Formats: sequence, structure tokens, C-alpha cells
Amino acid sequence: MKKIFDTQNLNLFYGKNQALKNINLTIYEKSVTALIGPSGCGKSTFLRTLNRMNDLIPNVTIQGGVWFNNISVYDKKTDVIDIRKRIGMVFQKPNPFPMSIYDNVAYGPRCQRSYSKKELDALVKESLVKSALYEEVKDRLQRPALELSGGQQQRLCIARALAMNPEVLLMDEPTSALDPIATAKIEELIVELKKNYTIVIVTHSMQQAARISDQTAFFLLGDLIEVEETRTFFSTPKDPRSESYITGRFG
Amino acid sequence: MFKLTRRYLFDGLLQGITFLFSSISFLTLGAILVFVFNQGWSLINIDLIRYPYESTTILGAPLDEQTEFCLCEPNIALDEGVFYSSKWGVGFEEGVDLLGQATVQLAYIHPESPLASLKNKGIEDNEFVLLPEYLIQKISYNDRATSLARRGVERMVNELESSNSIFEIEVITKGGGIGGSIITTLWLIALTLLIAIPVGVGAALYLNEYAQKSQFANGLRSFIETLTGVPSIIFGLLGVAIFIPLTVALTDATGGNLISGSLTLSVILLPIIIRTTEESLKVVPVDYRNASLALGASRTQTTFKVVVPNALPGILASVLLGIGRIVGESAALIFAIGSIVRDEITLTDKSTSLAVHIYSMMTDEPANIELSSTIAIIILVIVLILNLIIKFISNKIMKGKLVGVI
Repeated sequence: MKKIFDTQNLNLFYGKNQALKNINLTIYEKSVTALIGPSGCGKSTFLRTLNRMNDLIPNVTIQGGVWFNNISVYDKKTDVIDIRKRIGMVFQKPNPFPMSIYDNVAYGPRCQRSYSKKELDALVKESLVKSALYEEVKDRLQRPALELSGGQQQRLCIARALAMNPEVLLMDEPTSALDPIATAKIEELIVELKKNYTIVIVTHSMQQAARISDQTAFFLLGDLIEVEETRTFFSTPKDPRSESYITGRFG
Repeated sequence: MFKLTRRYLFDGLLQGITFLFSSISFLTLGAILVFVFNQGWSLINIDLIRYPYESTTILGAPLDEQTEFCLCEPNIALDEGVFYSSKWGVGFEEGVDLLGQATVQLAYIHPESPLASLKNKGIEDNEFVLLPEYLIQKISYNDRATSLARRGVERMVNELESSNSIFEIEVITKGGGIGGSIITTLWLIALTLLIAIPVGVGAALYLNEYAQKSQFANGLRSFIETLTGVPSIIFGLLGVAIFIPLTVALTDATGGNLISGSLTLSVILLPIIIRTTEESLKVVPVDYRNASLALGASRTQTTFKVVVPNALPGILASVLLGIGRIVGESAALIFAIGSIVRDEITLTDKSTSLAVHIYSMMTDEPANIELSSTIAIIILVIVLILNLIIKFISNKIMKGKLVGVI
């Protein structure tokens, strides 16, 4: 499998607090990588270093290297907008913009260049089909996005990210604000999307990681404890700390 | 049982104090409204807009020196209160001018009356007719006696009946209208908002989106907060020192003018607009910003496509506050635009707003509380209408966006 992300000795500090310690992690193309660990272990922080969303937080220092398709993400010459165009992100809380469903999906493309209405219509439809939302909203594309249910809103956010035609989708606990049925739909969608996209997902639920991911990375207090093929990780964890986390002794 | 009673006592006491103070404030506000309407309602009249502020005096005289008497009876029934002189064929009545002062007005004139057409003594060969809207000041007779309108209409008509020839009639046209001041006020609102909103919103965007928590920005913020508390008359001085010379240099203005007034008001408004806008920018969820940036939008695109549209209701709220401030401002405007009431409004000339018009009315001798209250009512109506328009726009914006959630 082809490597898409590679981090080498990645250290991240919030002020003087070290949030990530010497992370070496390789993520492969067209697979699902799950990042798990207890709260505050650095998994979300790690996810946000991949598309430089940590830039927005003041006082963040990053050492070490992050490579995305052999581009150094933190190199001064790297265009952060280009990185974010190619790496889509879905957040914990569904956050569609307070505009119409159509405008939400069209937002990203419109920021890049001007599209003809026909092109845009096709793109919006394609993205909504890919995120399995089209059938539910096809008659009300001009209605406000905030009218949708939580699960629909999250799929709209996925469609919005897909409209940029990214290579990667970063998902930061995308189902933690959703009910079980909506969660199941999103999980189904992730499995479907993995055919064409690389997915990195932060999750609190070990069951979810076990169900949908190919590779699991276990973080604890800023350290990357173990990275393993998911089935192996959950059946025969190498590190005793992984084992106690999986078996629910802490976390 | 004791505890319970004590608690009831304290609760009752606190509740009583709350109700007492709230009713004091409502009663005070209500009393002001009642006072204003009570004083000013009687003078509310469409003529306030129809007639100019300036009045002119016209000296008229019969066309012919040797006038023949009319000795005619009115061919219509006259109202009560009209005093008719059959010798001259005119009827006068008492009325009230726009300022609320008693006057004598023409009520009826017989077609054959020698006063039906008069010559204007000020201009050669100029005839005019007496109109009901002219206020009769005095009538002088050839025997040098003069009857003054202010002595009462009954006496005036009696003197008219006993005189043999009329030497001169002095009338003044109806004046005291406030149309010019209304137009100036509307101009001030439009110009000031046009200047202050882009500048203020821009400053707020800089503070909240770009500078954020830097030392410099914090210093700027406390400076702006201090400016909110500066008495407006000081801004008026600024207007005199900077904006009047500036407008005089750049336009054909010669002194205080509408533009210098608007510029001064803009400076007064800036701190308010910056603060209100920044508050509304702050409450735009950070989720929206993150989502936009993660989609590959630049910071500027995020600001103008996501943040500003979501802060619009707050920005409109600052417009509302601004309108209130513009309409209510008087001290600074007395300096920056002047307190001279005008009828013809040009941008580069002196004129005055309704609030300063009230100031002029109240500094007259004697102070005209009634007309001032009338203007106050008109100000209230203008502010109310503008508020409703902005609320309507605000609702239009919110609709289509925030249905259901949040």
C-alpha cells in the first residue's frame, strides 16, 4: 500500500505543555486509520496537525516532520490552503453554515474559482450522492441546512468536504453527537468512502474503531503507544497499556 | 415555623423593592411620554411640513387711494368667532400659527371688497390678494391711527368699521415650519451611517479577526471604550477644529455645514459601532470559521463569506443605536453644523437637525415648550419608523438561515 501520511519525531507544545511526544506514524492510502485513546491523550491534536488546523491556536510549537504525499506539511514553502484543499475535515459537532444545503456544499469550490451553474449543480449532486444524503434532500436543496437532523447535518458536512475532491478525510469524533441510528449510517458511509479516499478518524468508541478501521493507533498522554492492524490490535495487543485500555481498566 | 416566616418576610421585602423600583422607572418614562404628547399634540399639523420656517412681511395697500366702501353683507354664513366688517367686506377670526401663538387671520372676503386685491407696497406694480394663511399684523388708517392684531380681533374689526380709509395692511406669511430640519436630520442619518458603518465595521473586523489578542489591539480596545464615555460636545470641538476647516477647504462651504456635521457624528458613532460589531463578531461560532478554513478558504474569504453575514443582525443593531444617537445629538451639532434653521437644504450650507431645532425653540424668549414637544413627537415617529424598517430587514436576513436549530 502507498503511504499518504508520514510523521517523524513529531512533537507539539501548547505553550510549555507538551501535547504530542515523538510521534512516528504512517498512514496508508485508501484505508481507515482510527486514532483512539482516553480524553486528553493527544489524538485530536494529532489529527489537526495533519491539515495544519493547529495553526489557528496561539502559542503552538511544532517540531519534527509531517509529510503528506512527500510534501512537507510544515515547510515554509508549502501553501496551507493547498494542503487543506486536498485534506478534507469533518468535525465533532455537525457545523453546517447557516445557509442553504446547496450553498453549503458549493461553499468550498466557490472559494477556489468561479463555476458555471451547470458545473456546480453537478458537483453538488455528486457530493451529496457520495455522502448518501442526496435522496433525502434532493427536493429541498435551497432550504436552510440547519433544518436537517443532526445525522443529516453531519453527512452534509461530509458532502461539503467531498465537494473539494480531497484525497483524505480527517474525522474528529464525527459520531459523538449523534444517536445510534445516525451513527450506523455514518459508519456505513465511511466504509463506502474508503474505496476512494483515505480516512483518518478520531473516535472514543473502541467498538467503532474495531468495526470500521484497518489500522488503529493508540495514544496515551501524548505518546503513541501502539500502531497495529486493527484486528491484531484488538485481539493481541502488544503493550500492556493497550490491553488494559481495550479491556476497560481505564479510559 | 419561625424560619419560614422570616424567609417569607425577606422574599416579600425584596420582591416589594423590585416592584417599587421597576414601577418608578416605568412611571417616569410614561410621565415623560405623557408630558410630551400632552404639550405637543395640539400643534401637530401637516402645515408644519407644508410651510417654510422663514416668514416674510408684506405691506399692502388698497389699489385706489380713494376707496369706495363695500357696504356689503357676506353671501355665505360665517362661522362663529368671525368678526365681519360690512364697510370693508372682510371678516377676521382668531387663529393659532405654527408656533402656537394667537394670530388674526382672514376668514372671509367679499368679492366686491376694496381689499379683495391689494398692491404690494414693497414692489412696484405688484398686486396680491389676501389669503387665509396670511397672519394679519396691523392695519393703519389715513388718520394715522393703527389697529394692532395683538389687541384682539374684535377690537380690530371695530376700529376698521369706524375708519374711513385704509393706508396700509401689514401681513406676514405663515412661517415656523420644520420641514427643513426634518430633511437635514434625514440627511445627517444617511451620511453619517454611510461614513461610520464601513469604517466602524472595518475596525471591528480588524480587532476581532486579525489583531485578536495582541497588546496593541487590547490597547486600542480600551481606548475605544474610553471614547464612548467622552461627552459629545468635545467631539463638537473636534468638528470645529478639523471638519469645518476641512470641508471649507474642499467644498464651497463657508462655515458649519451638513458634511462637517455628519463627519462629527460619524466620529461619535464609531466607538459604538466598533464595540457592538465586535460583540456580534465574537458570538459567530468558531465552528463556522474552522469549517471554512478546513475547506481551503482563505482567512479573508472566511471573514467575508461566513463571519460577516452571520454578524449582520448585530451590525444592524449597531445601526439602530447609531440612528438613536444621531437623532438625539445636539451639543456637538450646535458647533459642527450650527443652529440656524433653514428651509433650503444644501450639503455645504448651514442647517439644523430637529434636536437642535428644539434647542433653538427653547432658547427663544419665551421658550416654546409646545412646539418643542411637537418636534419631540416627530423625532419619536422618525426613530420608530427607522427602527421598524431595520427590524424588518434583520428578520428578512435571519429567515432563510436560522430555522429551528441554535
